Amino acid sequence: MLNNLATDVREMLHEQLEYRELLYRMAARDLIIRYKQTIMGFGWAIFMPLINTVVFSVVFTQVAPIATPVPYPLFAYTGLWAWNFFAASVRFSLNSLTSNASLVGKVYFPREIFPFSNIAVCLVDFAVATVPLVVLMLWYGVAPGKSIVLLPLVLLIHVTFTAAMGLVLAIANLFYRDVKYLFELVIAVWMFSSSVIYPLDRLTGKLALIAFLNPTTVIIDGYRAALFNLPIHSMTSLVSTAVLSFVFLLGAWLYFHRSEYQFAEAL
Amino acid sequence: MTPAVEFNGVWKKFRRGERHDSLRDLVPAALRALARGRPPQDALGQQEFWALEGVDFQVAQGEALGIIGPNGAGKSTTLKLLTKILRPTRGTAIVRGRVGALIEVAAGFHPDLTGRENVYLQGAVMGMKRAEVLARFDEIVEFAGVAASIDTPIKRFSSGMNARLGFSIAAHLNPQVLIIDEVLSVGDMAFQEKCVNRMREFKRDGVTIVFVSHNLQAVTELCDRALFVKRKTMALGPTAEVIDNYVREMFQSQVTSNGDDDVVVTNVTVYNAGDQPVTGPVASGETLRVAVDLDVRIPIHDGLFALRVIRSTDQLLAYDGQFTQQELGLQLGTPTKARVEFALDVNLTRGQYYFDFIVGKPGQYVTRLTPAAHLTVAESRTWGGIADLRVRATATTAAGPEPLLSSH
Repeated sequence: MLNNLATDVREMLHEQLEYRELLYRMAARDLIIRYKQTIMGFGWAIFMPLINTVVFSVVFTQVAPIATPVPYPLFAYTGLWAWNFFAASVRFSLNSLTSNASLVGKVYFPREIFPFSNIAVCLVDFAVATVPLVVLMLWYGVAPGKSIVLLPLVLLIHVTFTAAMGLVLAIANLFYRDVKYLFELVIAVWMFSSSVIYPLDRLTGKLALIAFLNPTTVIIDGYRAALFNLPIHSMTSLVSTAVLSFVFLLGAWLYFHRSEYQFAEAL
Repeated sequence: MTPAVEFNGVWKKFRRGERHDSLRDLVPAALRALARGRPPQDALGQQEFWALEGVDFQVAQGEALGIIGPNGAGKSTTLKLLTKILRPTRGTAIVRGRVGALIEVAAGFHPDLTGRENVYLQGAVMGMKRAEVLARFDEIVEFAGVAASIDTPIKRFSSGMNARLGFSIAAHLNPQVLIIDEVLSVGDMAFQEKCVNRMREFKRDGVTIVFVSHNLQAVTELCDRALFVKRKTMALGPTAEVIDNYVREMFQSQVTSNGDDDVVVTNVTVYNAGDQPVTGPVASGETLRVAVDLDVRIPIHDGLFALRVIRSTDQLLAYDGQFTQQELGLQLGTPTKARVEFALDVNLTRGQYYFDFIVGKPGQYVTRLTPAAHLTVAESRTWGGIADLRVRATATTAAGPEPLLSSH
């Protein structure tokens, strides 16, 4: 059993290494096409979270002001920036097998390439979208402190959890095509129940505990702590989210790998 | 030496129609499955069918195997099992070595990318390393003949250019086992010639080839052995024998008549020069007699009796000629039994042929039997073509004809 697991994991990683050129080419393809097809190109990566930041800033500073540890626009932008990477990655991954049906049915290569290349594209957008973040931090004079060392860990958890979700939903949507509709509903509710646009400082007791069971809340909180030198709400949550995300990715990837041979028939 | 490709008792089950595609159907389907228990792997569920039923074959290293069979016989399924796109329900499909597949050669192309970008992408899809694509890029473009438009988006390419570029990328793979699915129909005649030559090169270089095609002539030319598959293994062996088997199975004699059974062909026999019925292959140049026995039920005065010779592998008409009743001196004033004989010299190259026999009147068929008989021409001094023209070659130098041995 364990032997099996080790063999599969080795095979999974070996295949990714073998086909790293394809992962790169697929991601490059999507970036090139977007650049060719839209005037704004990478502008979209900045534009979307910025517009949302403006809207929520009006609401939460003028209509119903709430207290945030850093100026609200910076607070909200950070949340939306991190959330957008997650939501966009999972949304594209979810459709990646069904929208490449002709390739899946005709050529063999590790199918993980589809969700992974989509996540790679979103990662580029994510990197581009850090530009307004830096500008906002300079504008409000918020400087990172010692806790910036947490940033690589938070990013790793973020990408790990996103990849795991992407793999699971890509399979789910392949076998049950209405998953994508359900996803839109869930992702909207999920966003508002994560601390994307509001802080969780005032939550205490059971509610706080439940809130920090949500991996995206932990991740976004982690980003804010790392970037703005804030105290992290729960180190336990961060560490357990890290461990769980890793286990989740391993499980999701194994499941994906083991059901790969059914993909061509399900399309 | 271990074979490069092994198919051991491979069974493959498919579902007709859609799987339960929506979450709404998941719950009832799961409940049903729970109530009935999991169906055993060997049993067929509702709407399921066997695409392959225990197919066995091996391909030795450096050998070329052709897979032939009618539509829906499981040829493409076999290829997909070999390329790991599908997995057998039972049995094992093993391919040893680096696999290259010439399947739907432009599958990975994106219309908005330029030819150059698509070459890199498609190369990666087919498992080429960056260095390999870089090293062979010029060759690929040259082979496809699209050098002038390589930096324009693929959507501006003609469909022929598109297919040629796709094939060209695949043709520059460096596989140990090459899987080819009906790609010879790509491009114009000059390009097809290039493709065939490229495949011969692969073969010369010792690449193991599995070739699926309806083009029996191409299979004949490229493959050492052939597999005739129709869900099961129908025949496996030397290409000529298997193709012979296949065309005899596929072209079952059919009678097309004017509907009244005015003339019925009761028997067709092919005799050799020794008046023995031909059962096996014949040699090129042999003289044969095709004897057709008829039951003529109406008076006929202006009948025509035609013989056609058709090459089975590509439906090429090798001969078509007719004889009038007057020429034959045949009196059919009253219903009678008759025999028409055609004597012919088989000046054909090696291959599988069949005869058509037709009785007609001016402007109409009375009856037509196709194939009336099969014929396999086994030996020939020629490499290809259809007619053995008995070409004799001589050579001279500027000094004039020289005796072969100088001692004379």
